Amino acid sequence: MTKLADNINPHIYEKGTEREITASDLDENVVDEIDEREIFDLIRNINDPEHPLTLEELRVVEESNISVDNKQNTVDVNFTPTIPHCSMATLIGLSIRVQLLRALPSRFKVTVKVAEGTHASEHAVNKQLADKERVAAALENNNLVQIINQCVAIK
Amino acid sequence: MASRFSGALQLTDLDDFITPSQECIKPVKIEKTKSKTGAKIKIGEDGYFDISGGREQKLQKVEITLADCLACSGCITSAESVLVTRQSQEELLRVFNERKYKDNKGVTKNVSLIVISLSPQPVLSLAVRYKLSVEEATKKLAGYFKSLGADMILDMTIAEDLSLLEAQQEFLERYHNQQNEPSSKNLPMLSSSCPGWVCYAEKTHGSFILPHISTTKSPQQIMGSLVKQLLSESRGVIPGEVYHVTVMPCYDKKLEASREDFYSELLNCHDVDCVITAIEIEQMLGNSNMSLSEAADGELENPWGTEEDGTPPSIKRHIGSGSGGYADHVFLYAAEHLFGETNARLVYKNLRNPDFREVTLEKDGKEVLRFAIANGFRNIQNLVQKLKRGKSPYHYVEVMACPSGCLNGGAQVRSATAEGGRELVRALEAAHERLPLAPPPRAARALYARALHGHHSDKARALLHTAYHAVDKTDLTLNIKW
Amino acid sequence: MSKLELLQTLNGHKGIVWNVSWHPLGNIFASCGEDKTIKLWSKEGQDWTIKTVLVDGHQRTIREVAWSPCGNFLASASFDATTAIWDKKSGQFECNATLEGHENEVKSVAWSPSGQLLATCGRDKSVWVWEVTGDDEYECEAVLNAHNQDVKKVVWHPTMDLLASASYDNSVKLYKEDKVDSDWSCVATLQSHESTVWSLAFDKTGERLATCSDDKTVKIWKEYKVDNQEGVIVTERESTWKCVCTLSGYHTRCIYDISWCHQTGLIATACGDDIIRIFREAEDSDPNAPTFELICTKLEAHPQDVNCVTWNPSGNKELISSSDNGEIKIWKFEE
Repeated sequence: MTKLADNINPHIYEKGTEREITASDLDENVVDEIDEREIFDLIRNINDPEHPLTLEELRVVEESNISVDNKQNTVDVNFTPTIPHCSMATLIGLSIRVQLLRALPSRFKVTVKVAEGTHASEHAVNKQLADKERVAAALENNNLVQIINQCVAIK
Repeated sequence: MASRFSGALQLTDLDDFITPSQECIKPVKIEKTKSKTGAKIKIGEDGYFDISGGREQKLQKVEITLADCLACSGCITSAESVLVTRQSQEELLRVFNERKYKDNKGVTKNVSLIVISLSPQPVLSLAVRYKLSVEEATKKLAGYFKSLGADMILDMTIAEDLSLLEAQQEFLERYHNQQNEPSSKNLPMLSSSCPGWVCYAEKTHGSFILPHISTTKSPQQIMGSLVKQLLSESRGVIPGEVYHVTVMPCYDKKLEASREDFYSELLNCHDVDCVITAIEIEQMLGNSNMSLSEAADGELENPWGTEEDGTPPSIKRHIGSGSGGYADHVFLYAAEHLFGETNARLVYKNLRNPDFREVTLEKDGKEVLRFAIANGFRNIQNLVQKLKRGKSPYHYVEVMACPSGCLNGGAQVRSATAEGGRELVRALEAAHERLPLAPPPRAARALYARALHGHHSDKARALLHTAYHAVDKTDLTLNIKW
Repeated sequence: MSKLELLQTLNGHKGIVWNVSWHPLGNIFASCGEDKTIKLWSKEGQDWTIKTVLVDGHQRTIREVAWSPCGNFLASASFDATTAIWDKKSGQFECNATLEGHENEVKSVAWSPSGQLLATCGRDKSVWVWEVTGDDEYECEAVLNAHNQDVKKVVWHPTMDLLASASYDNSVKLYKEDKVDSDWSCVATLQSHESTVWSLAFDKTGERLATCSDDKTVKIWKEYKVDNQEGVIVTERESTWKCVCTLSGYHTRCIYDISWCHQTGLIATACGDDIIRIFREAEDSDPNAPTFELICTKLEAHPQDVNCVTWNPSGNKELISSSDNGEIKIWKFEE
């Protein structure tokens, strides 16, 4: 039983420019401090589960909704589902978490949340995404992992 | 707040407290003309609008019916508001008033006959609640429904008889098949009249357990077939215009009535259109500020064209448990027809708890039959696990999802205090013992000859038996629960 | 100044170590985690080493392990929806029984003080009570659906057959068996935490319960029996539990585990900020409004989240902890 996507014709945004590489980026000795742009680069190309578009193109993730604290080792990502009743919200949030889990050094504490006021079940979604035990169990579900891998794969 | 559904159903079906939009995947059918790029949807303040046709067309809000829920992997959220969108009470009153109803397929039909079938447990429940004798309670219920607009009020004795007769016969067949093919899954035979148990078995254990479950229909569904096929014919009414309501002790029966297997393609209608429970009747009476004792008197009818008994129709009991007496009946029948014991004694022995008891038949010092009654989820668990390990010693088990069986169904009238529950069940059991015993099922037997073309005919099989379907557990893709 | 001295760092597991559990004698402990194995550790000279590895018991992460009070059985709860019971009757540790029935991930398992009962709980929101009915025979005693969300942990009262569970629904529930009809039911709901309650621990007497939560607080609850002196109203025949102390402002992230030492009365917490904290009840603590002091903060106890802490049951002030990065550490608490 396939379902019509919630949001059949979403608004598409232009992709941003690529980041310029500086000298210190190439220097092996400099402790890699992560910044918002880097996090954004990691997640901007995640595909939406329903449309052949990236989270950046759908403005689900934006650099301005990311914050990084290198001293506290925290990364906070707020994402904006395309419509308030988006049923893919937990899946999108999970994809973002997984992508960052796989890519970032283990010292970082990552929090992925729905941007305030943008989803009907905001609290429930955020709670589920914040529960690392639930996330760990979810990632042992092969069907779910396959879907996430499809979202996360670079086209 | 206690759920009206049995524990077994709650465990497998009740889901996260996530609003329907997160979990439910019911597809919406939008009636529209072909367009090139797909629908354009605008989100307005009071709904969602399809603007692809050039003009705004308000999209229908998705409504989830029980049938949809059953059809998918079985998400039934516990939020009462999402539960049964067909609020049975409201629906019932509307049907009484308008003489029209909308079936599970969404088709509106006229109603020319409203039939109410009463099962014993909710009648007992209401009798105890309103401090009436069962005869009084039955009269008052009949009168109450008549005053609302019902045409016929029936007792379900004939359906119960048929269910027991078929179960007895089925056991004999299974017993013989098992003798011929010891590795087959004929025995132990597990009763099927409890939909909570059946749903749990289909969803959790699937093809392992299902062959053991009796194919005999429950009295509710046999009654449904009798009403829609035989009764409608005898009254000269189109089956689809008969609105059949059953009065039951639990909400699980509502799910049973909605099963696709119990929708007749031929007649274009369900066998049972609405299930109303004791607690809902209590609410309805409460809404009208009346007690059941204040209702007018009414009479049950006996439309089955048999006058053998001469006794007026009434709520009767069968020997055995308050859930229908399956174990007792099958046991006695088997004892007689397999081992020639015509006066076998039924002495039950409690096992781990009073909700799990067994009875045996010995012949020449050897145990030849071993039956059990298992009520409640923990006992079902143990039964199933033993079966899985091949360690089940039983030939037949009467399985009910509710502890203490149907008398303690999930939608029976609750006791006033938390502690009073146990006493209430005892009072119901005592009231059940006092019911008049159903006479030998001559009317039911006559029906085989008259209307069903014999005991093993295709018609009898179709009317009296059903099938089960393991629910595929592979997760629906984009909506996997974690 | 109290401190927690690191005795040893153990690397044996691959991936997250979710739980470590001491054998009742305090000379062996078991660990389990993401790599689907259970490792049994004991001391060789001064060093803790792996003595046995139990494999092939589960197909997914093993979330918790628990020793029976007699020390002869080890139960393991897994995301594969089963609970395995291991014993050494044959000379080697073998899985001789598997408890099935949960719909999905089992998150916790605990033995009753008598060793006659086991409790399990999981994401299917239910708590199951099992009875040991014979050699490798276990039967389901009760399936309790009191919580309406994922149940994270179950623990038994130290001396009675009273069961407590902690849940994603922010509450803690207590369960008891009614001897008359051998029916288990929920006899109390402890509601005060504002987010998932991850773990709980009874004190030595079982009259107090410590809970820890994603809301970054630890709460202490006290039992008020039917005929209590303090005049606390107890409406039904069961005791009432009241939250008598909340420790807030100490933890900066989710608190995953809590352990209350029955010999020293010290409370240890495992937190998502990588820190292990030790609390002690103040000398002048009022029983009805107790105060606890933070007496030791072990910063960077692990490089990642601390998932579990547990005091050695022999009372020798040893503490073991485990982390997301696969490490297990043995500590000694010193005044």
